[in-house]
Amino acid sequence: MVRIKINNVELSVQPGTSILDAAKKLNIKIPALCKHPDLQATAACGICVVKVKGANKMLRSCCTPVEEGMDIVTHDQQLQDIRRTVLELILSNHPNDCLQCGRNNNCELQRLTADFGIRQVPYPQFLRQIPEDPSTKTITLVPEKCILCGRCVHVCQKIQNVWALSFLERGVQTRISAAGDIKLSDSPCIKCGQCSAHCPTGAIVEFDQTDDVWRVLHDEQKYCVVQIAPAVRVAIGEAFGFPDGALLTGKLYAALRRLGFKAVFDTNFGADLTIMEEASEFVERFAHNKGALPLITTCCPSWVDFMERFYPDMVEYFSSAKSPHEMVGVLSKTYYAQKKNIDPATIAMVSVMPCTAKKYEITRSYEMFASGHQDIDIVLTTREISRMIKQAGIDFVNLPPEGPDYILGDYTGAGVIFGATGGVMEAALRTAYFLITQKNYEKIEFENVRGLQGVKETSVAIAGKTVKLAVAHGIGNVEYVLQKVQKALKDGTELPYHFIEVMACPGGCVGGGGQPYGVTDALRIARSKGLYQDDREQKVRYSHANPHVRQLYAEFLEKPLSEKAHHYLHTRYFARPMYRK
Amino acid sequence: MNTQKLTAASLDQLAADCAAKVPKNLIRVGMSTCGIAAGAEAVLATLRRNVAARGLKIAVEQCGCAGMCYAEPLVEVAVEGMPTVTYGRVTPQIAGEIIEQHVERKLFVQDYIYTVKVDDEK
Amino acid sequence: MRNKKTIFLGDSDQQGREKAVYEALAAAVKAESLDAAVQLVRVAETGKAGQGVVVRILPENIDYVQVKPADAGRIIGESVKKNKKLEDLTPPAKVRQIKIVLRNCGRIDPERIEDYIAGEGYQALKRVLSERTREEWINEMKLSGLRGRGGGGFPTWMKWNFAYRMDSAEKYVICNGDEGDPGAYMDRSVLEGDPHAVVEGMMIAGYLVGAQKGIFYIRAEYPLAIKRIQIAIDQARSYGLLGERILGGDFSFDLQIRLGAGAFVCGEETALIASIEGKRGCPKPRPPYPTVSGLWGKPTVINNVETLANVAQIILRGGAWFAGIGSPSAKGTKVFALTGKVKRSGLIEVPMGITLRQIVFEIGGGVLKDKRIKAVQTGGPSGGVIPEHLLDTPVDYENLQKLGSIMGSGGMIVMDEDDCMVDISKFYLGFCVDESCGKCAPCRIGGVQMLGYLRRISEGKASMEDVDKMERICAAVQRASLCGLGQTAPNPVLSTLKYFRREYVEHIKERRCGAKKCASLLRFTIIQEACKRCGMCLRACPVAAITRSAANVYTIDPAVCVKCGKCYETCKFAAIKQE
Repeated sequence: MVRIKINNVELSVQPGTSILDAAKKLNIKIPALCKHPDLQATAACGICVVKVKGANKMLRSCCTPVEEGMDIVTHDQQLQDIRRTVLELILSNHPNDCLQCGRNNNCELQRLTADFGIRQVPYPQFLRQIPEDPSTKTITLVPEKCILCGRCVHVCQKIQNVWALSFLERGVQTRISAAGDIKLSDSPCIKCGQCSAHCPTGAIVEFDQTDDVWRVLHDEQKYCVVQIAPAVRVAIGEAFGFPDGALLTGKLYAALRRLGFKAVFDTNFGADLTIMEEASEFVERFAHNKGALPLITTCCPSWVDFMERFYPDMVEYFSSAKSPHEMVGVLSKTYYAQKKNIDPATIAMVSVMPCTAKKYEITRSYEMFASGHQDIDIVLTTREISRMIKQAGIDFVNLPPEGPDYILGDYTGAGVIFGATGGVMEAALRTAYFLITQKNYEKIEFENVRGLQGVKETSVAIAGKTVKLAVAHGIGNVEYVLQKVQKALKDGTELPYHFIEVMACPGGCVGGGGQPYGVTDALRIARSKGLYQDDREQKVRYSHANPHVRQLYAEFLEKPLSEKAHHYLHTRYFARPMYRK
Repeated sequence: MNTQKLTAASLDQLAADCAAKVPKNLIRVGMSTCGIAAGAEAVLATLRRNVAARGLKIAVEQCGCAGMCYAEPLVEVAVEGMPTVTYGRVTPQIAGEIIEQHVERKLFVQDYIYTVKVDDEK
Repeated sequence: MRNKKTIFLGDSDQQGREKAVYEALAAAVKAESLDAAVQLVRVAETGKAGQGVVVRILPENIDYVQVKPADAGRIIGESVKKNKKLEDLTPPAKVRQIKIVLRNCGRIDPERIEDYIAGEGYQALKRVLSERTREEWINEMKLSGLRGRGGGGFPTWMKWNFAYRMDSAEKYVICNGDEGDPGAYMDRSVLEGDPHAVVEGMMIAGYLVGAQKGIFYIRAEYPLAIKRIQIAIDQARSYGLLGERILGGDFSFDLQIRLGAGAFVCGEETALIASIEGKRGCPKPRPPYPTVSGLWGKPTVINNVETLANVAQIILRGGAWFAGIGSPSAKGTKVFALTGKVKRSGLIEVPMGITLRQIVFEIGGGVLKDKRIKAVQTGGPSGGVIPEHLLDTPVDYENLQKLGSIMGSGGMIVMDEDDCMVDISKFYLGFCVDESCGKCAPCRIGGVQMLGYLRRISEGKASMEDVDKMERICAAVQRASLCGLGQTAPNPVLSTLKYFRREYVEHIKERRCGAKKCASLLRFTIIQEACKRCGMCLRACPVAAITRSAANVYTIDPAVCVKCGKCYETCKFAAIKQE
């Protein structure tokens, strides 16, 4: 332990602790702007400076580790003046349009300015005239609002290892853009939205499609249906003052009906369906040697995009199953439309996702039009739907809960855990075990694939065979896994894994790029806990026991991997260029 | 280019050999960026041309910036038996005079000397 | 011819007075029939200033100053003929340059390693490799008191010692040749004029800290330096002085050159390292320091060119010798680039501790055109101005800091009555704004804001409140910037405000620039009494600001005038006033 003094109070902390974190132990909040708990300090903003006795300069508390005997002052007149001046300088280079900004009421810069009580910026304002970049139609870059904290670049380069974003130019001309100053849609961007999730201001926001949804909701010719992803129900509460991770499924269904959706489905139904298809696929490949191993999950469109661009020669290992919401989407315009006698051309299917990349997924290939129409018309993020709920005057907090339209809305515990990293793997194992052994696995909760560790490697015994598994989240962790597989394939040695789950967002979908702002590990854990709680509370916890899924196969799809199932529920993958001309 | 790999002993020998080979009659022209910017390349060329044309036995070499940048191009002239002096603000024309007057006729060129070398300076 | 005496004479103030003395001496020589034995040579420069006509007699090496034509007889009759020194004409002892770093510059061909070897070249390396232990040599460097010459002033032995103590198989030494201060070119001249001195210094540093690779980081704007260092490296390799088993021992070391790409900020250690690694040249927070985790995460020593050029001499002559030169807190010499309004601009190498006045007037020859000196700027864009009344300050790291400036890398700019202090700080701040990497908000935005205020002040559009605001920003930029560029960018502003606040007030309250530098504040008016009505000014004006009335009266319209000064230059009758 290292002994230090902060504001004349002594304390001991672990070596390597930053001054910023050490101060928290004394309930001292040193103001900071560019530091994010997920990321290493970039030391950019200069607001967290403190005085250290014996040092001839002020030091940044976010990145300076404590040393034995350090005597630190965190607040005095001079520090206050300096911090205030730095913040005023940042504000002098920032547009003053909070009221019209996508982060109004939810912006770190706004919060700091309010905390500092700044009423007037004494310096002339000068703005940068840099155009927005909405080219990906999933995230929009608004460089005028960027305070150059560097978090998005750090996330895209170091955490996600995609290297789509970088700094350009220097001095006050510095801006963040796709490298080479091309449009983001021409860059390797996989649209995971982690940049937006970490941005402290309104410089990176989701591509807002609420207007499109209002339009279809108010279009009398349209029959609007909606589905919600697992991770949305445990995060929506943050916009309405609920505790972190609160499970609000029932209220969400009710709110969506009030918005005007004629049917409320649940992506978890699609998740159960995905498990039926994918577990069957796994059994084919693993138990019957029909197809290549390892089998790799594909519900995450950012991950699919990444593989198609960075490792195109490995797409043959992908599961051909579509993602859950695409499955619900195509069925809503076929199975559901037929059953209810509705002209599918009039159906507007809206997906509410924790994800920005899903906005891209819905047109990624012609299989996304398997119903004969665009299977999913619009994707909204959790953030967008919470705004719509508020706009519609719905008193979300006090709404009595409702149920879904069970035909495509009934789900099991296995379906809902899709939203957490390891969830797909766990759900698939529950069903794969059954498909191979005809018995249910005794240990229904598979702890080894849960948790925030970047790569989880484990195995399970099924019918005397060892199935080796890997679960990775955060694209930066994928390289390790893929290179292990590539090496084994090249050398002809035993495969390190048979089944791999990858989620692009750290934590899985609960930490998705479209979730409410302010994600941290604590929040990821809280949201996941909500999902695992839902799993425990479900009467049915195995995808293969979902009664409405069984009915769907009996009435419409025949059986998993049937020709009809392939036509509607499966897709292909392509090699795509990293950079588009 | 040399291919001899030096040892401690051969380094000393090489040093002695090279020191002995320093010519007694030697012209040095400042050829760092300051000199070149002031026109030293033309001066160097003129000196070499004139020395060759007259068949004089005096080496003409380049050197670095001696610090008197305001007086570039600088030309140091060492002729055996005469004090070594440095001419400054040398033009190709003055260069010609240096060869004709100073080197050939052992007469200093008036009004262009900037430093006079004294023996206690190395 | 062998016994010929040479009498060199010149006017130390370039006023032509040597001609009369020359005639008198010639007559005296003739009178004593010494024509064949005495040669009289008029020189252009004497190396002295303010000493009247100066005479040097060789080979005796006798200097006389303040020589008048009347002294000619005595000089020839007594001094030359009878070897009697004339005490009344003997100059007082003056400060002299001591060439350690520049010892070979101008004396050898930098593209010939044999020249370097002939002059003790690589002898220091030989000693370090074969005698004593590493700790003993590092201690010798400690005795010398050598401090980083790039501006940081950090004790060189300490930096080497930190790296030496690190347990790592891979270590690096880097020569910082990014020299970015405007007006500073000491490092360039050393790299161009004596590249092997730096190579040898690098090798000694590499051996002592335990590095196998050294890198020259040279700014791309120095093509000749790059060429000469490459030649030096190639020639050293050909002699086995670089590569495996140098001089027959266990030490293996090699050097390569990496180029800068136009960023002043890459002279900062962590930004320099990022640049070599192929990343954006942005600084990183310290700790960790480069000696612990530097290039590629390995212990790295970064030294300035001038620092390294001192090393071989310290090894050969001993740390105590070096420590005997200079002042107690700043040992050894410093190379300064003396430029600006000074008669003899160039590079000088002087012992630490001599005064600025001695530098400017004794060595520099005084102010150009004998104008009044206003200040001396030291330390480039990180430094400040030292006003005339403080010029007797001995030059060292601490003294200059106390006065609000810094030693910096050695740039020294002489400023006279025609230099405007507002304009000066605007120039330096503009430089910092251009060169700011943009990573941290205080420097990136604070710099632009400060520059905005300075621009408005120089255009007469500011208020005294603006000065307060500017000072507030200066404090934040100084304290909250991530690296030295930002931390010192406000120095020129604060320094000029400290010593020349009156000029700022003049610009703001009177909308006047006393030095007549700030164009917006210049007023051109026609002195009617002197005006000859020739109309030349009207024709010269590019914006038709001068009009002729019906009564043939010429006037300048201040609203149209762009202060180009063409009318002022054109008027032959001094009828236009510039104020």
